[in-house]
Amino acid sequence: MTATASERDELNGLLVRTGRGDQASFAELYRRAAPKLYGVCLRMARDRGDADEVLQETFITVWHRAATFDPGKASAMTWLTTLARNKGIDRLRQHREETLGDPDHLNTLVDEDPTPAAGAEASQEYGRLARCLEALEPQQKRSVREAFFSGATYKELAARLDVPLGTMKSWIRRGLLQLRACLDS
Amino acid sequence: MTTPDERNELRYAEYVLGVLDADARAEVAREIQTLPEAATAVALWEQRLAPLTGSIREVPPPPYLWARIREALQLDIQARSRPTPSIWDSLRLWRWVGVGAIAVAAALALVVSVPGLIHPAAPVGEAAGYMASTIQQDNGATGWTATMDLKNARMIVVPGTPVALEAGRAPELWLIPQGGKPISVGMIERDKPTTLALDRAMLARLGPTAALAVSVEPLGGSPTGQPTGAVIARGAITGAPESTGPHTASVIAGRTDRPTA
Repeated sequence: MTATASERDELNGLLVRTGRGDQASFAELYRRAAPKLYGVCLRMARDRGDADEVLQETFITVWHRAATFDPGKASAMTWLTTLARNKGIDRLRQHREETLGDPDHLNTLVDEDPTPAAGAEASQEYGRLARCLEALEPQQKRSVREAFFSGATYKELAARLDVPLGTMKSWIRRGLLQLRACLDS
Repeated sequence: MTTPDERNELRYAEYVLGVLDADARAEVAREIQTLPEAATAVALWEQRLAPLTGSIREVPPPPYLWARIREALQLDIQARSRPTPSIWDSLRLWRWVGVGAIAVAAALALVVSVPGLIHPAAPVGEAAGYMASTIQQDNGATGWTATMDLKNARMIVVPGTPVALEAGRAPELWLIPQGGKPISVGMIERDKPTTLALDRAMLARLGPTAALAVSVEPLGGSPTGQPTGAVIARGAITGAPESTGPHTASVIAGRTDRPTA
């Protein structure tokens, strides 16, 4: 892939200029970042209509809040991903009763192996995280990944994987602490 | 045993991971606003975990989403992507206009005249409230049949001969106004009927001067808002015979129940 650093800088620049009200930059930011964010939304949402709305809300918020983006603190992609995931999770919590026991969601439990990052943007960070994830025990790794992608609560995850709530909490908590130790080392 | 600091650190990690229930989540969200150490810890976890999205496949959002965002924000910027210089410019689409019309009319006349095929409960009235199009593949086979229900602003698209596409691709239906650029009507199914809503702008463009076409696009639809893949079928739009309008829709929709001719 092409230079990760320059792609990252370009995306940062687009987000910064969006914060100044530059519509062309906002349009270009959408063109570049929306496919990845839509993938994130689809993975989390109950259906396409939900994913559409989450992506739409995300970009409306991007336009309003881009001025608060500080490239010194986070990359544009991390900022955008966080925003999209938070929108998606909040929406899932609103519909919690409906999603509980939703048989369709069982299908998403397949522990897909990470596919190579489609964009080069986050590939270096991703490689590092992937190595640290590999060091976890299989259940920990699987639970952390599933939690991140699905946005499900502890309770929902425990029900889906058919393990006691305490077991799920301990898998994920130990997984998170180990990840931190590995990533910060 | 965990110390209070560790407990908090875990709560922040759990918040970012997304496993907290609504109440616990709201509590952390408040702390982020009021406690700098909470904001810092959460930001650090976001940086640690965000790269996980690297393994998520990119899916181009459907073209109407950008239009919706633009409208919601009342932006005046027009295009987000340069117009695709594509087959659309070189293909003489207009060649097909008029060719399918006769076939559709003939098929409808036949179907309507066969007793028993018409849904007995089919509503009668509002003549000319329907338009139809036979969307043909290059080999002449009917790819899809589209019936436009003008009154209810919707289009029912029924597959004829199933079209094979490579994995990760799906057919997208386009309305091509005379002399204009294709407008995405929506993604359509290959093996069952699809009902698509028609907005006012699209309704205004329907008619014998417009055509329909199907192109092969990524699952989420064309990433550019214009066709990006091969055009696999095209059809002219024709007004359905007046008195058979309402029947037309039910007959065509009902065709899914039996093998196509």
